[in-house]
Amino acid sequence: MIGFLIRRVLQAIVVLFVVSVITFILLHMLPGGEARAVLGVKATPVQIAAFNHTNGLDKSLPVQYVEWLGQVLQGHLGYSYHLNQTVASLIAEKLPKTIVLNAIALIISVGLAIPIGIRQAVKRNKAFDYAATGLSFIFYSSPIFFLALVLVLWFSLDLGWLPSEAPQSGSVVGILSQPTELVLPVLTLVLAQIALFSRYMRSSFMDGLVQDYVRTAKAKGASDLRVQYLHILRNSLIPMATLIGLSLPGILGGALIVEQVFNYPGMGLLFWQEAQVNDYPVLLGVTLIGGAATVVGNLIADVLYGVLDPRVRY
Amino acid sequence: MSVGLHSVQEPEPEMVLEVEDLYTEIYLRRRVVHAVDGVSLSIRAGETLGIVGESGCGKSMTAMSIMQLLPPGGHITGGSVRLGGVDLLSLPESEMRKRRGSDIGMIFQDPLTSLNPTMTIGAQIAEAVHLHRDVSRAKAMDRAVEVLDMVGIAQARKRIEDYPHQFSGGMRQRVVIAIALACEPRLLIADEPTTALDVTIQAQILDLIERLRRELGMAVMLVTHDLGVIAGHADRVSVVYAGRVVENAGTDDLFARPQHRYTQALFNAMPERAGDSGESLLNIPGLPPDLSLPQTGCRFAARCQFAQSDCRASYPPLEEVAGSRSPGHRFACFHPVGKTAPIELVRTRFAERNNVEPVTLLQVEHLEKDFPITHGVLQRKIGAVSAVADVSFGVSRGRTFGLVGESGCGKTTTGRLLCGLDLPTNGVVRVEGADVARWKGKEGRRRRRSVQFMFQDSYASLDPRMRIGSILREPLEIQGIGNRRSQEKTVRELLGSVGLPYGARERYAHELSGGQRQRVGLARALALEPSLIVADEPVSALDVSVQAQILNLMRELQNTRDVTYVLISHDLGVVRYLSDTIGVMYLGKLVEIGPADDVYLHPAHPYTHGLIEAIPGVDPSRERQAVPVLGELPSAANPPSGCRFRTRCPFAQEICALEEPVLEPTGTAGHRVACHFPLKTGGPSPIRYRRT
Repeated sequence: MIGFLIRRVLQAIVVLFVVSVITFILLHMLPGGEARAVLGVKATPVQIAAFNHTNGLDKSLPVQYVEWLGQVLQGHLGYSYHLNQTVASLIAEKLPKTIVLNAIALIISVGLAIPIGIRQAVKRNKAFDYAATGLSFIFYSSPIFFLALVLVLWFSLDLGWLPSEAPQSGSVVGILSQPTELVLPVLTLVLAQIALFSRYMRSSFMDGLVQDYVRTAKAKGASDLRVQYLHILRNSLIPMATLIGLSLPGILGGALIVEQVFNYPGMGLLFWQEAQVNDYPVLLGVTLIGGAATVVGNLIADVLYGVLDPRVRY
Repeated sequence: MSVGLHSVQEPEPEMVLEVEDLYTEIYLRRRVVHAVDGVSLSIRAGETLGIVGESGCGKSMTAMSIMQLLPPGGHITGGSVRLGGVDLLSLPESEMRKRRGSDIGMIFQDPLTSLNPTMTIGAQIAEAVHLHRDVSRAKAMDRAVEVLDMVGIAQARKRIEDYPHQFSGGMRQRVVIAIALACEPRLLIADEPTTALDVTIQAQILDLIERLRRELGMAVMLVTHDLGVIAGHADRVSVVYAGRVVENAGTDDLFARPQHRYTQALFNAMPERAGDSGESLLNIPGLPPDLSLPQTGCRFAARCQFAQSDCRASYPPLEEVAGSRSPGHRFACFHPVGKTAPIELVRTRFAERNNVEPVTLLQVEHLEKDFPITHGVLQRKIGAVSAVADVSFGVSRGRTFGLVGESGCGKTTTGRLLCGLDLPTNGVVRVEGADVARWKGKEGRRRRRSVQFMFQDSYASLDPRMRIGSILREPLEIQGIGNRRSQEKTVRELLGSVGLPYGARERYAHELSGGQRQRVGLARALALEPSLIVADEPVSALDVSVQAQILNLMRELQNTRDVTYVLISHDLGVVRYLSDTIGVMYLGKLVEIGPADDVYLHPAHPYTHGLIEAIPGVDPSRERQAVPVLGELPSAANPPSGCRFRTRCPFAQEICALEEPVLEPTGTAGHRVACHFPLKTGGPSPIRYRRT
């Protein structure tokens, strides 16, 4: 297990390095540039050249990258000229909020998807299965911003039950103390994710239902419910672990839109706002964190896999 | 031996199971399958009833009907099932559940999949106890240890914490048996309990079931397709065909005087009955009837050579054998064995081999294959699994070499090396003088035509999305032989030569039966006109009647096409029937090699002898050692020193651990054995086996 973890962390470092190179190149290919972003449209070419020179932006791209990387390795993710704050402190402020939002949504959607998927598998091709399948496809196929807007339209504008804006508190505790404001952003994410998870749970559980060990358990005299929850559940969660781990980056992508729609002060909103003003250090930092989340998600999936399946030993 | 256990004077033991006129139907989307069609049977305490028949004839459905664990769409539509006098069919599901696992235990065919992979075996056994006995967790675990011990798992207390994948197939079947016996059931239903196991392990498991039946006084229902299994282990037999019992008799009586033509045909299809007489096996033409179609008359009539018009008009009643000394021998046949035999059953004699100077086609020299075991961060190699260790043999053109051994002995790896699918660690495989490992590039691709492979699982080895015609044409396309028209012509010829209609080219694999698929597998292997076909367990997944068809076909094609076979099988009967030479492998080593008949009749290696002894015999009266080969195959990652078989050998001495025996002549031409204490040829062997 230790050897496996070490190997995976080494792999993760390589992956993050490649991610940073690609992001760095792509961002610097964008028109405008950092100086224009900071100094504004009225800046003269002389001012821009001076800005670039003082900040080392007139050096060649590889040199800039190596310098940036050197800073990153020392723990400095850079400085946002636009927000006048270090990138590290920005991320430290926003990341926990994004994690809270996504964690709540993920726990609820997985928690609902598992029993729904099981019931669908057990009662397949019956009314419940058809209804759940239909709804799944509707939610899965609607764009997440559209889903968010429809929910706002119904629940806050028409019915007036829920506020349309996410909590604006500066701290995680503050956000959690405003649960009604959290409902709509979380609901949007849950509806978008639950379809995928319940579909997988359904097919994974259906595979489980026809296994020989199910017959053995029934021949022992176990009831259907016991067979389903004691025997099949753990086996059918094994593929789910991989799915959840792999879907982490997608979830972050969805959160970016949800944060923007509900004005939720997390990393997604930060990325959205800074992307419009070419705030490169912030964009680089957030992308790197996204890359790290992907790698960590995969690692968690692999570890979960080992926990759920005794045949897998690393 | 349990046969004749109850003498007439003793009071008859109580009747445990009585099934009367049972009907089970399975509702599928558009049709209804009449899977069980009026089956009646009964088993007394301490008695074993064998249920025998081909696959799809309703044996398993009868068993599942008794358990009321039918597949989706399955319903019992008539009859009664009484267990100790209580009608199970009238019980509500909640009551029936209390009887499953408690009054009736069941063991299944495939031990590798019958256990939950994510639960410890202790938990799985204790669950059975928990469900039926009001005991504490600790008490249930104690019971689990007790039954594990009873079924012969060493260090049971330690092993209850282990997961199923930490056990071998045979050990897992013992665990399944332990689950079934945890509550001491009155009836044990064993559905093909040894079909997925090696012959040596099969003997151990059957022996175990028999011992437990004696100790616990259970009634046992032994469902199998293998008449050999029935012979040694059942008191009475019911032969089932197309959902009905066609013959019912004491085991000795059935084997000595089968009455029904189907029973007779089953016996005739066994390769053991043909030995190496040079005659074809009497196969049963065609397939069992489609049970979703209405049936009139005897269901076997369509495949029966003795069928007359009366057979097709009405169903023959189950009648007692007239003047039989053994009561209860009943059969349902208008034209039974011995009564009317207007047709002579002819075993075709295969043409004598042309005895021209044999030319060596395949030469295997000091073949070795290791698979590395890696560990740690850097995946260092910390050891190797020695799958094939110094194997040498030669095969002449147009002959068959049979490679026999338990699973894990390296025979399949050897097969792959022969085809160049894997590269050897050491040693050479030469086909027609050319080194298989050096078949590279254009020339290599062309040469590859000369060796083809035939697989065990005919279903998995055919692309489910390709039509049979395309499957057969693909090798020709890859090799760029001919144009589309000539390829189509070759496909037509191939289908014809393996006995399939030309229309089969439009079919997909799932539309064919197992036997037909294996014919396709053979046709595909023949497509490139190879000089050598490596057939890996070509018939082990088939029913005995279909197996006979394929074996006959392989033999016939060998004669007409002069093709050479390397036949890999765990079944010595099959190997002996088809082979000229037999090689016996044990844990990567070739331990004995020689002319097929000589090896079979006068085995010189204790392992070969054990394998032969372990074959469930066709003759129930023959006495045999209870467990011919002890224990299980050791790990190939750490093979025993000296002779690799010594850990399971009854004769092992000190020298066996110190010095590795080499193949030495036994005295008969071409027969060699690698053993320090080879068995003397001739006469019954004086081996005394230890009992564990």
